[in-house]
Amino acid sequence: MDDKDLELRNLTYRRFVALGRAPEPEELGPRDEVLAGWRRLHEAHALVLDGDAIRMANPFSAVATPYRVLAGERWWYGNCAWDAFGICAALDVDGRIEYRDVAVEVRDRRPDDESLVFHCLVPAAQWWDDIVYT
Amino acid sequence: MNLFRSGEPRPEGGETITVTALCDLAHAWWGDRLAPDWRPHTREQNQAILDRLGLTGNFWRLS
Repeated sequence: MDDKDLELRNLTYRRFVALGRAPEPEELGPRDEVLAGWRRLHEAHALVLDGDAIRMANPFSAVATPYRVLAGERWWYGNCAWDAFGICAALDVDGRIEYRDVAVEVRDRRPDDESLVFHCLVPAAQWWDDIVYT
Repeated sequence: MNLFRSGEPRPEGGETITVTALCDLAHAWWGDRLAPDWRPHTREQNQAILDRLGLTGNFWRLS
């Protein structure tokens, strides 16, 4: 990843957090240049595209998922349970994670319900084979 | 990658860790994601995070 792509990646993340949603290419610069950069970042696993749109800027999801996260006075979607906690981590704030009928608060980097467990089905070496499924 | 209540049926296969361990993992893995000086983690750095948190064994090997 060269410096230009790194700058685009960081700009994309900053705008995602500022807007509370994935930015459109035109919001970051010339559409063709931004899309070309996003495609390189997608190949580098620095974000995930669905066509010309951002699908994931991990840990943030650009689309609705079962993992809702209240963090930084805004609701977000996480791509999975790991990412849901990752949103609190990335924003460096406390938060609340909701999934189905489960709700867990994160305070000072600790979950308030330690009876819950996290199940990971796909082995680590295969996570990026199909990151949306993972 | 889902949350379950303790004792709740889970899909066969895979690995299960406590939500406390998951929270530690999330902070180690994603905590720098918005840092102005963020750089991509190398595979070795990510593997070191897993190892440090006791997530060892073939299942947790990134390659």
